[in-house]
Amino acid sequence: MKKLHLIIGKLYKIKYLTKFKPIFNVVDSIFVGVKDTTDSAPHVVDNLDTKRYMTAVIVALMPATLASIYFFGWKALAIIFVSYAAGGLAEVTFAIIRKKEIHEGFLVTGLIFALVLPPTTPLWVVAVGVIFGTVFGKEMFGGTGRNIFNPALVGRLFITLAFPSIMTTSWLKPFTDAVTSATPLTTFKSMQVVTPFSNLLLGDCTGSMGEIFRLGIIVGGLFLILTKVSNWRIPVSYLGSVFILSWLGNTFLGVKVAPPLFQLFAGGLLFGAMYMATDPVSSPFTKSGKWIFGIGCGIFTFLIRNFSGYVEGVMFSILLMNAFSPLIDHLVIELKYKPVKK
Amino acid sequence: MKLQILSIFIATIFTHNIALTYLLGMCPFISLSRSLKTAWGMGLSVIFVVTLTGALNWIIYHWILVPTQSELISYIVFIIVIAASVQLLEMILEKFLPGLQVSFGIFLPLITVNCVVLAVSLFMVIRDYNFIQTVVFAFGSAVGWTLAITIVAAIKEKLSLSGDVPKGLQGAGITMVIAGIVALTFLGFAGMVAIQ
Repeated sequence: MKKLHLIIGKLYKIKYLTKFKPIFNVVDSIFVGVKDTTDSAPHVVDNLDTKRYMTAVIVALMPATLASIYFFGWKALAIIFVSYAAGGLAEVTFAIIRKKEIHEGFLVTGLIFALVLPPTTPLWVVAVGVIFGTVFGKEMFGGTGRNIFNPALVGRLFITLAFPSIMTTSWLKPFTDAVTSATPLTTFKSMQVVTPFSNLLLGDCTGSMGEIFRLGIIVGGLFLILTKVSNWRIPVSYLGSVFILSWLGNTFLGVKVAPPLFQLFAGGLLFGAMYMATDPVSSPFTKSGKWIFGIGCGIFTFLIRNFSGYVEGVMFSILLMNAFSPLIDHLVIELKYKPVKK
Repeated sequence: MKLQILSIFIATIFTHNIALTYLLGMCPFISLSRSLKTAWGMGLSVIFVVTLTGALNWIIYHWILVPTQSELISYIVFIIVIAASVQLLEMILEKFLPGLQVSFGIFLPLITVNCVVLAVSLFMVIRDYNFIQTVVFAFGSAVGWTLAITIVAAIKEKLSLSGDVPKGLQGAGITMVIAGIVALTFLGFAGMVAIQ
């Protein structure tokens, strides 16, 4: 390993290759590791750097990823590959032009972005989405650790609104090739049919590639919480508020609102609450801010799912609360640490 | 009737937000969103002035312009009413409530050129609102505009601490990007409430 480090060190000192220093650095740090401290969020008081942080998230994403490859075969593989390639290209271009480091944050963004897409997404749409997300969601704000919005969701939102027929009407059941427009949430909205829980848990239903194997998502999410990589406050308050609100709605408004347990397990709620809302960079830094963030996500998800023209509100609600989180942090700090008036 | 007023209020804030859906009032939106304090000050003055001029313009339009069949000059009348009432308001504040006038500061005269004010008066004519609906619509639009500018101002304050925006995008550029993404997320509310 040390030899590799020395070789890389010599390589980028060669005149023609100096420009590509960021690429050498990232190869160097993946294989050899660096001892530098972080200079931007996420900061943790532990011997944990951004790289180990991101590795933990990727390990936690593995059940969902492997399940999506098992369910959809080469389609899932191709989407993940294109997502990494196109997004990586945008990332590397920015790093070279701005003479910055390449951050491993992209390894997570690229994977999450692929997992929240329907398995039928054409590959060029995948590329458009991931490039938009990386450039407008992350690089324009200064790269990993400085973004305001979750870059994967920005990309997903852009292609959902730009190509609605591709993104919302063609879904696949695992192991089949028959395109259908029905997901558990749409069948409930049109026919009030609740999909059985075993189907939802084990992935025998339609949905985005990574969100349907919910058992794996729960295991991965618990792994993240137990290793303290993600904060337990956000998933608990998010899932809790959706559960309570839909219980109230189901009791008082009747069949218009889906029953609470079904809402909890349908759609991308678990995936969003475990992996996306907990993003340490785009969620509030303060503890009470995290509670407010989770509850706000829950309220917006409930409202959009049950009362708007969209069937699924997880993406919108997390991005909305991303937008609100600087304001939440500001207000929490203002209220909690008020200067004493004389 | 009551429900309709509530739905107008919700719609003006979320589904038909005047800053994020109609992209109105962009010049103060971009220039004053640098700090949370100025954004909040501007927002408060907009809420006050828009509600006031919306009500005034409704009265003038329906009690003077319509009976005399001179709707054609409504644009000029609305602009004059807005400019005059803002000036009048400033004088009144200066005389009786100097503290409030100082805290509004530069924003009050600036509002005369904020297109949200005129847009609210014109929407109220197109959509044929009655008086109460107009007041609710005007108040809601201004609250929605204030919400949008406070969100963006808080984001920009955070960016100025932790961000690293490319040189060419600093200032107005990144504000447009932020406003665009926030506007996209607000589209999630589409279809929740319908107004004309």
